[in-house]
Amino acid sequence: MKKILSRPVTILTLALVFLFNSFAFAQQIPTDEAAIKAGEALFNGNCKSCHRVKQKLVGPALAGVEDRAPSVQWILDWVRNPARVIASGDAYANKIYNEYNKSQMTAFTSYTDEQILSILAYIKAEANKVDAPPPGTTTADTTGGGGGVPSGYLNAILIGLVVILVLLLIILGLIINALKKYLDQKDLSEDDKEIVHSKYTFNTAIKSPAFIFIVVFLVASVTFKNVIDGLYSIGIQQNYQPKQPIAFSHKIHAGQYEIECRYCHTGALKGKQANIPSANICMNCHSQIREGTNTGTTEISKIYAAIGYDPATGSYTGKQKPIEWVRIHNLPDLAYFNHAQHNNVGGIECQTCHGPIEEMDVVKQYSLLTMGWCIDCHRKTDVNTKGNAYYDKLLELHNSKKALKVEDIGGLECAKCHY
Amino acid sequence: MRMKQGIWGLAAALILAGCKAGGDYQGLEYAPNMYHSVAYEPLTQITDEGYGVLVNSLDNGRGEYYNTNKFNPFGMNMRLPAPNTVRRTANGWLPYRGVNDTTGLRLANKLINPLTDSPAILEQGKLFYEINCKHCHGAKGAGDGKVADKYPGVANLTGDAIKGVTEGHIFHVITYGKGLMGAHGSQVSEEERWKIARYVKQLQKN
Repeated sequence: MKKILSRPVTILTLALVFLFNSFAFAQQIPTDEAAIKAGEALFNGNCKSCHRVKQKLVGPALAGVEDRAPSVQWILDWVRNPARVIASGDAYANKIYNEYNKSQMTAFTSYTDEQILSILAYIKAEANKVDAPPPGTTTADTTGGGGGVPSGYLNAILIGLVVILVLLLIILGLIINALKKYLDQKDLSEDDKEIVHSKYTFNTAIKSPAFIFIVVFLVASVTFKNVIDGLYSIGIQQNYQPKQPIAFSHKIHAGQYEIECRYCHTGALKGKQANIPSANICMNCHSQIREGTNTGTTEISKIYAAIGYDPATGSYTGKQKPIEWVRIHNLPDLAYFNHAQHNNVGGIECQTCHGPIEEMDVVKQYSLLTMGWCIDCHRKTDVNTKGNAYYDKLLELHNSKKALKVEDIGGLECAKCHY
Repeated sequence: MRMKQGIWGLAAALILAGCKAGGDYQGLEYAPNMYHSVAYEPLTQITDEGYGVLVNSLDNGRGEYYNTNKFNPFGMNMRLPAPNTVRRTANGWLPYRGVNDTTGLRLANKLINPLTDSPAILEQGKLFYEINCKHCHGAKGAGDGKVADKYPGVANLTGDAIKGVTEGHIFHVITYGKGLMGAHGSQVSEEERWKIARYVKQLQKN
């Protein structure tokens, strides 16, 4: 009985509220530039994390909300206290509450009418904007142009240089001819004539001792250098750059998007190994970002295959298989190395040993990783003793003006790394 | 005579140049035994039984470099810890047991940060914030990190919606994620989460 009664009452009140709003105090959405600007700032600061104007995110797309919602007053109430609107039994409020998995919007209690209306003004202005052309076309143009211009310049410069050199040759030939003619007009002795008209053929040039010496010297030195380099490179894997099972680009992740190394390599700060991130760390972003910059969906779908994720339904299937990354840096078992000691305690940047990883599309071994390379760094690197009571007594005992090197605190002891 | 020596030299140079690592080629190994672990090595796996058969000193018919634990799933050398294992931590904390739902979040709001209020904690919170949060939420928490250009729904931590939340709420959200944010419980330890929560509250004050 109560229910039957209450429903007409709500409808009546709603209708009354609607009439009241639309005729008596019609809340006008401002259209002036200042309000839109203010609305944009508020929207970006507070709404953007869950709402977009034209795209459904955590919450609904907001374009056309002023026509969709029962009234502007309803929107004002909703933004300030969505819980109360839902509790009041409002049909529209409950409909969207259920539609969005019963996750309730955050209340913005302190917002004035004016502020919320300015946000609505911004939404309306954005919604009326014509869509920009698809990003693909514009980016292709800019990258194509950006890549083509410098190489075009380079070609032009090279061609110009060749033309200048050919001109120089022609001019020199002309000068020689003119000089010969001039000398022929004079009375010269036989010896001088021979010098003027001496024949330099290709054959005589090749057989001249000077030429043979230069060639032999060049070949011998190149060979010698290669032999020595070759001998030194045995057992050294510097520049090893294997193809990985997933074409993960550090240039995009660490370079362009500035994701900290240790966000994924969680072990670097606290353990011996820096760790290869497990696929669930990939999924922190790639549950949403499904198309890569370089490779589209082909490489990202390999993550989904490994972790057993179905992007169509957004659920996990439970069928997992490991990703077989190819190990690049490999120390022999006889040497102990600990990432935490270097990165956390010593404060050494990742790039000191691994090179400009943030510029590498495919990672390569940047450093030698030989014992000489380790020792060299331990000899040169200062220990940061400032504000660390652990070193106070040691500094006092050393009593030297020079900075404490890693060498001075046992960085060259055999048993530090070999045991 | 001189010619012959030259040719031998050239040949040697060419062969030795082939020792250099690069691309997919790992380079020539000298005395290779120590580069390949005899013990099961985590994060490494060699499944080819014949790999390094010439240098095997054990007479077991297998390659010296074969490094696979065939009793584990996929022959991996690592395996997951037994179910319900907890990590030992320096201050003896057990894993967070709050539940990942709205009730859990409401209960988490009342949690109190067990860490003391000191500049050192804040400093470490800043470090962990910059490692784990900055690329989305931005250096000042305004939701303007580089990843936020591409990733939808990055929250502005200094906005009115989040300004009033408790440290317990932040702790819970780091653990399980919220909205479009992923769960970070596996990569950020309890202690680190509390430190980040402390630092985020500091960011919101500024």
